[in-house]
Amino acid sequence: MSDDHVLVPVNQAQPGMVLSDELLDSQGLVLLAKGAILSEAIIASLQRHHIDVVPVARVEAHRAPDPVAVGARLDYLFRKHDLGSDWAAGLLRRYVEDYRLERQVAP
Amino acid sequence: MTLTLEELIQGLDDLPSLPAVVMELLGSIDQEDVDISVLARKVSSDQALTAKTLRLANSSAFGLQVKATTIHQAMTYLGFQATRNLIMAAAMTGCFPSGRCPSFDDKGFWRLSIATAACARVLARHMHFNQDVAFTAGLLHGIGRLVLVSRYPEQYDAVLRECKRVDGDLLALEQAMLGVDHVLAGAALAEHWQFSGTMQQAIAFHHAPDMPGAGFLATIVHVAVAVAHALDLAGDPQGQVPAISSIAWTALGLSEETWLQVFRETELQFEEMTAILMA
Repeated sequence: MSDDHVLVPVNQAQPGMVLSDELLDSQGLVLLAKGAILSEAIIASLQRHHIDVVPVARVEAHRAPDPVAVGARLDYLFRKHDLGSDWAAGLLRRYVEDYRLERQVAP
Repeated sequence: MTLTLEELIQGLDDLPSLPAVVMELLGSIDQEDVDISVLARKVSSDQALTAKTLRLANSSAFGLQVKATTIHQAMTYLGFQATRNLIMAAAMTGCFPSGRCPSFDDKGFWRLSIATAACARVLARHMHFNQDVAFTAGLLHGIGRLVLVSRYPEQYDAVLRECKRVDGDLLALEQAMLGVDHVLAGAALAEHWQFSGTMQQAIAFHHAPDMPGAGFLATIVHVAVAVAHALDLAGDPQGQVPAISSIAWTALGLSEETWLQVFRETELQFEEMTAILMA
């Protein structure tokens, strides 16, 4: 099983988790398709089918971007520009920084 | 060593050739009366090309409601122009093996070309410009570098090494060390392959969109290249954003809010297209 999967005991499964593989019952029949989203009802049904663990997609925790790292990389990428006088490059750099740092911009 | 443009052009016939059907598509660019079913049948005889083209056509960038399962269907749903450009994209991003030019990163080259194509396409939509033409121009703007890699691998390797060592300007080093540069080489190839006039201009002027007669497509590609670099999509640790013409930037006249949307769409389309084209 690859890194983006994690096995979760059914009694700890939460609604909203995404199934990373199809789920078969003891006869080899497909109970749930890959990609199915677990709900309270589905979790209850899994317990009735005596399924102990389910493979679910690992969710990347959303990490806030690091402003220092973003700024340093952009400084490097724009190292040939004189951002004081080259205003088009200055704007592009600022917009990409706002984008990377997920800043809200006025419409 | 100094090369002349003449020597360069004479060598173009020795370049790794494109599949015959792609040459035929290139030749049909300005034809109005193309027989779509004949072309569709020819493309369909190349299974790998067909598969790649259909995956592109069905990617979310093109937003087809119904999946195209044959080239003929793709042409019916997307139109001949769009499909032809997709076939070219699928065919191009696989040719020109490097080999004797170890400093040339062909994966990075195509990543940057695909990023530029995706951004050019998004920009074209905002500017009400032909999106398929912009996509192809973005994808092919750097083909001159492939000419130099294929024709003069050892010499070009020396240029690339020097460029890395002094952290210099590639175009200037090409001119100084080879006597020709990738813009000239690209323009020569575009003419040799009989690209349309607009496409030739975009390739010839993507570094100088302010020149008289450069055309608006050159402006779109020029800015798209800068955005692709600024978004760091080539994956080159030594990447640098090229000079940006303030005239070209102003000509697009986009608000910051729109730019952020352009970045988002470019990254999304880039991810999807690299997965298909570089598989």
